[in-house]
Amino acid sequence: MSYEYIKFGQEEKKFIEKIESISGQNIYSCYQCGKCSAGCAFSGKMDVTVNQLIHYIQMGQKEKVLKANTHWICASCLTCTVRCPREIDVAALMEAVREYILREEPEKVKIADIPKDVLEKLPNIALVGSFRKMTG
Amino acid sequence: MVNYSYFPGCNLKTNAKGFEKSAIAVSKKLEAELVEIPNWNCCGTVHTMTTDNLMKRIAPVRVLARSRKHVEELKDSSQEVVTLCSMCNSTLKIVNSEVQEDPEKLEVINFQLEEDDETYSSDMEVKHFLEILRDNIGFAKIASKVVKPLKGFKITPYYGCMLLHPEVAKIDDEEMPSVLENLIESLGAEVIFSPLFKYCCGSYHIVSEEDIVTKQVQKIIESATVRGANALAVACPLCAYNLDQQQKMLMEKTGRKDVIPIFYFSQLMALAMGEPIEINHFEDHKIDPRILLKELKFK
Repeated sequence: MSYEYIKFGQEEKKFIEKIESISGQNIYSCYQCGKCSAGCAFSGKMDVTVNQLIHYIQMGQKEKVLKANTHWICASCLTCTVRCPREIDVAALMEAVREYILREEPEKVKIADIPKDVLEKLPNIALVGSFRKMTG
Repeated sequence: MVNYSYFPGCNLKTNAKGFEKSAIAVSKKLEAELVEIPNWNCCGTVHTMTTDNLMKRIAPVRVLARSRKHVEELKDSSQEVVTLCSMCNSTLKIVNSEVQEDPEKLEVINFQLEEDDETYSSDMEVKHFLEILRDNIGFAKIASKVVKPLKGFKITPYYGCMLLHPEVAKIDDEEMPSVLENLIESLGAEVIFSPLFKYCCGSYHIVSEEDIVTKQVQKIIESATVRGANALAVACPLCAYNLDQQQKMLMEKTGRKDVIPIFYFSQLMALAMGEPIEINHFEDHKIDPRILLKELKFK
């Protein structure tokens, strides 16, 4: 097993504080039980599991957090939120990471790139939902 | 006759017309009529989980304010706004409880609404139609209105995420719900339990990550059909769209034949209560439920 030395300075602290303030959650409440990832319907699609992403946030590892696809795959079904034994709103943490990115680059989904026939076919509940989650 | 202030939401007017029309028809039959709020707007579909973005909360609060006004105009109405769409239900309930707990938030939002002479005083209650059916009307009364029991229907109730999550918005126990089961049984159909009753369908990923939805839908449908279900009952227009359209897509792509129709719970009620079949708008479904009706010789 190899160890990785990480930097934990002002920048890292600032990142943690920002995620905590957007989500209203205390990131250190998490004791890494993994129940969120175990019950997540989308774990198989995520390159980093939910509790791993939370661990990265706890360690202030901004780059690793932003590189992961976890928060984009999360569809806010809130299964993790209702099951968390520490009563953390886990889905709100995923939303906070999305928001953190979207406030800098507001277009994860580019509306102009969606073909017109697809736009016409899809129900508005899907479009509004997607654009509220994927654009800033 | 009791009247309820009813918030349709965007989809009930477009691709889920059968959901709305069947629900309104049965609500009249049960003497608890759903009366549409005049001048309503979209609730925003998904609730924002950020603490600092009040912008995204203005739309649902405006809905609540307009419903409050609507209730005053209605006869025999309680201070409740009723939804059919489970996403609207959850968004409105969450925002309602947020502004009830935090008057400062409400004050800022009201400042925005004042421009249109509207303010909200956090005194409404949000209810899903299923809650009205269970708590105010009761399954015994529903069963007494059934004229054509749904014999041969083997239905898996699929709740999706938003009827049971989060804590403030849930309409039933989040790990062991029973409202759809009881409703289906009162209509004379058989309930087929599936452990994936709230396994997320992939939701809005249908816009940009369709394969996520495909995989989820495959699992949800297989979990129902392997247990012998011949239909699925839902309460969410997005679940319905994903489950219906993705099955059709899989059928065309892979040739699989074990597809099952997706019914809104109100369509099942309308069928059992002998409403004209046209109000269900079955022609909008990708997997036509009329094929099943014919197989079961349901007339």
